[in-house]
Amino acid sequence: MASSLQTQTHTNAMNGTSASAADPKSHLSKKPRLHTPPQPLLITPSDIISEFSHHDPSIARINNGSFGCCPSSVLSSQQQLQLQWLQQPDHFYFNQLQSRILQSRNIIKDMINADHVDEVSIVDNATTAAAIVLQQIAWGFAEGRFQPGDAAVMLHYAYGAVKKSVEAYVTRAGGYVIEVPLPFPVNSVDEIVQEFRKALERGKQNGRRVRFAVIDHVTSMPSVVIPVKELVRICREEGVDQVFVDAAHGIGCVDVDMKQIGADFYSSNLHKWLFCPPSVAFLYCRRSTNNSDLHHPVVSHEYGNGLAIESAWIGTRDYSAQLVVPKVLEFINRFEGGIDGIKKKNHEAVVEMGAMLVKAWGTHLGCPPEMCSSMVMVGLPACLGISSDQDALKLRTYLREKFGVEVPIYYRAQKDGEVGPVTGYARISYQVYNKVDDYYKFRDAINHLVHNAFTCASLPN
Amino acid sequence: MEHEDPRNGESTHRSSKKPKISSKFISEPEIRDEFSHHQPHVARINNGSFGSCPGSVLAAQRQWQLQFLRQPDAFYFNTLRKGITASWKIIMDLINADHVDEVSLVDNVTTAAAIVLQQIGRSFAEGKFQKNDTVLMLHCVFQAVKKSIQAYVTRAGGSVIEVRLPFPVNSEEEIISELKKSIEKGKSNGRKIRLAIIDHITSMPSVVFRAEGIEQVLVDAAHSIGSVKVDVKEVGADFYVSNLHKWFFCPPSVAFLYCKKTNLSSALHHPVVSHEYGNGLHIESAWIGTRDYSSQLVVPAVLEFVNRFEGGIDGIMKRNHDEVVKMGKMLAESWGTNLGSPPKMCAGMMMVGLPSRLCLNSDEDAVRLRSHLRDCYEVEVPIFYQVLKDGEEGVRDKDGFITGYARISHQVYNTMEDYEKFRDAINQLVEDGKTCKILWIE
Repeated sequence: MASSLQTQTHTNAMNGTSASAADPKSHLSKKPRLHTPPQPLLITPSDIISEFSHHDPSIARINNGSFGCCPSSVLSSQQQLQLQWLQQPDHFYFNQLQSRILQSRNIIKDMINADHVDEVSIVDNATTAAAIVLQQIAWGFAEGRFQPGDAAVMLHYAYGAVKKSVEAYVTRAGGYVIEVPLPFPVNSVDEIVQEFRKALERGKQNGRRVRFAVIDHVTSMPSVVIPVKELVRICREEGVDQVFVDAAHGIGCVDVDMKQIGADFYSSNLHKWLFCPPSVAFLYCRRSTNNSDLHHPVVSHEYGNGLAIESAWIGTRDYSAQLVVPKVLEFINRFEGGIDGIKKKNHEAVVEMGAMLVKAWGTHLGCPPEMCSSMVMVGLPACLGISSDQDALKLRTYLREKFGVEVPIYYRAQKDGEVGPVTGYARISYQVYNKVDDYYKFRDAINHLVHNAFTCASLPN
Repeated sequence: MEHEDPRNGESTHRSSKKPKISSKFISEPEIRDEFSHHQPHVARINNGSFGSCPGSVLAAQRQWQLQFLRQPDAFYFNTLRKGITASWKIIMDLINADHVDEVSLVDNVTTAAAIVLQQIGRSFAEGKFQKNDTVLMLHCVFQAVKKSIQAYVTRAGGSVIEVRLPFPVNSEEEIISELKKSIEKGKSNGRKIRLAIIDHITSMPSVVFRAEGIEQVLVDAAHSIGSVKVDVKEVGADFYVSNLHKWFFCPPSVAFLYCKKTNLSSALHHPVVSHEYGNGLHIESAWIGTRDYSSQLVVPAVLEFVNRFEGGIDGIMKRNHDEVVKMGKMLAESWGTNLGSPPKMCAGMMMVGLPSRLCLNSDEDAVRLRSHLRDCYEVEVPIFYQVLKDGEEGVRDKDGFITGYARISHQVYNTMEDYEKFRDAINQLVEDGKTCKILWIE
C-alpha cells in the first residue's frame, strides 16, 4: 500500500537531504562550494535511527504519549552536565546552575510566546505543576478568600493524578467539584463546548462562585484535542476566577501560544513531545493574574522569591534534565520546519496510520482528524471482548509480551441503547522515530487475534 | 615493597612474608579510581554539602536509566516497583525500622521536611490544632527547614519557638537545659507543642520529649546515615529523615523519611499527588509522575560498594570520624585556634576555628573567604561566621576573638594532602596580612 509517508521516506533516503532535492538551480550553479556558507544539514533517516538506537528494536513503540522519548545527542549532553556536577558540585552550584536554568526558561518563554521570563517556571512534570496550582486553591479556602462550597470545574477525562490532586487540595479544603462529562467517540468541537457551558451553569447554582477550572489541552485517555481557547474565553465570560490549562501533551504536540490561549496557568511536559530526558515540565503563570501566591511545595531557602526561583532550587538533586533545553532546540532545528514541521508531520502520519488501521479492522476513529494531534484513538474490533478497564490493561500487557507492540488501550463502556459498539480503543502515537512497520505489526497482531477468535476473557488475571 | 631478585632463587625469608593473595578489601588505588571523576587538584573537604558517589554506583545508575529509556512502559509496569522495594528493604534493615511501610524514599531532606510540615499546616487549617499551638525548632536549623516552617506553620496560624543552643557547645547537658527552657515557653498559656524539630546530634531521647508533653518529634538527620549509627527505634522519634547522597554514596539525590506507625503519621501525604494518593506515603512517594527514579534504585549497588571496605559502613564511619578529628586538631594547632565542638559530638565533619587575624566579621566575609579559597587555592570548604552573643565569653586566639569556622569533612576519597593544602592556604593568607574584606574573587 503506497502512502505519502512511505513515499516521503523513500525520497529522503534516495536523495539524502531534502534540501538538495528541492533546489531546482543546483545543477546550474557553477560557484565553487567554498564560497557558499554551509547550510545546516537537515537530519537524515539514518541520523534519526542512530539518535534513537537505544530504543528496544524488538518493540513497535507506538505509545510516545506516556513517557516520551529522548535522542541520544541530548542524552550525551545531559551526561556531560551530570559529570560536571559530580566533578565539583559546589562550583557548579555557585557558578553554573542558576544561569543555565535561566537560559532554559528563556528558550521556553520564546517557544510559548510568554511576555516575560518571570512567567516561566521549570518543574519536574505536569503532575507537580498541578499540585502547585491546586495548593494555592487550598490556601484560598483555608484563609477564607473562598467560601466552603465554592466550585472547581474539571473534565471527566482529566488525568487521574490531576483528579486526585483536586481531591487532595480542593475537595479536602471544602471546595465543590464539578466534572464535565464529555462524549466519546466525539464528533465535533461543539459537543465539548456545550457540555462545558452546562457544567459552568451547574457550578454557579445556589449562589456559588466558580473559583477555578482545570482544562486539558489534549486529554490523556481517551485522547482528544480540546478547544481550550474557546473554553478559556467562556470561563472569562462566566466569571471563573482562575483557569488552568493542563497541557501535559502540549508543547511539541499542539500549538502552544500563551497569549492566544489566555489562561492564567498553563503547564506542559517537555519530556513527552519535546525530546527532553525524564523529566522536566514548564508551568506558565500569567503576570497579570494575582498569582504571587504560588509556591513550590518543597520549600527551600528561596521561599518567597517567586515560583520560578523557588523551583530552580528545591534542595540537592539532579537538575540536568532542566539544563539540556538548548541542546534540544539544536536537535529540533535539524528537522525541516523545526518543531512546527515535526508537529505537522506527526499529525499527518498518525491520521494516515489511524485510517489504515480502521480500514484493516472495520472500526472507526474516536474523533475527527482535526480533533487529534500526534495521537489518535483507533477503535478495536468488538469481537475482542474488551469489557472492563482490567481487560484493557490485560490486552495491553498481552500485546507487549506476545507481539512486541507497546500501545495503551482504553475501555469505553457501552451506553444504554447501543448495539454492538466498539468498547476498546488503542491510543496510537507517531513520533519522528516511528516507521510504517510499527503500525503494520500492530495491525497484524490484532488481525491474528481476531482470526483466532481471541477474547479478553481468556487472559489470566 | 621489596623487589625479589630472581638470581636469589628460593628466598630463605619467604615464609616470613604475607601470602600474595589479593586483599578482599578495596585498595587505595581502587578508591582513587572510584572517585577519579572528582576534579583533580581540588582539596574536596566539603562532603557535607553535596556528598559524593563512586564510579561503580554511577555505572549501576546509568544501567537503570538506560533500561527505562529503552522501553519505559515495560520498566514502569515490571521493574520500577520491584527495584524500589529492594531499596526500602535495605534501608529498613540499616536503620532498624520494623516494616517497609515506615520507609519512604524522597528526593532529599528538604522534601521530607515539607511533607511533615504540610501535614502540620493542614491540621491547623482543619482546626485539629488550636491557633498558636507551637512548633519547636533549633535556631541553627537548616535554612530550608526554617522557611518550610514559615510556609506551612506560621502561615496556618501556628507559633514557632526557636531554641538557641550555645556554640561552641561543650556538653549535652547545656543542650538539654536550653531545650527544657524552650519547652516551657512553648507550653505557656495553655498551648500544646505539636512538633519539635531537632537534629540527630543534639537529640534527647524522644521518650523525654513525650514526657514533657510534646506531641510529635521530627529528627532532621540530613547528615546521619553513613556518618553515625542510625537506630530509629532507639531514637524513638515519630519522624526521622536523612539524605543518602551525602554520606551513603548514593547519586544525587535520594533521602529516606522514616515514619513510625501511628494514627498521626498515617495522615502524611506527598505534596505531588499522583494516582497513588491515599495508598500510604511510601507508595505515594514511589510514584510522583514520570521522572528519573534511578538514584532510588541503586541502593543495592551502594551496599555492595560499602561492603568492600573493612567493617562495611561502620568501618567507614569510624575511620572518617577518627581522621576528621585528627585533621581538625592538626589545623587548630597550626593556626593557633580551636575546635568548635568536642570530638565525641562530631561524626565525619568538624568545625575548626579560623585565625582571628582574617577579620571574618559577617556572613559576606565568610562567603568571600570560601570563594577565594575555591578560586585561588583550589580548596573547597564551607566557612561560617559565628556571631558572638552578648555577654558570652568568646573564644580567643593570640590575636583576638575567633569568629570564623571552617567545617571540614573526611570521606574515603580524602588524603592528608587535602588538609595540608587548606592549612597552608590559611597560613599564607595570614602571613600576607590578608583580611576577608580585601580578598579577590572572580
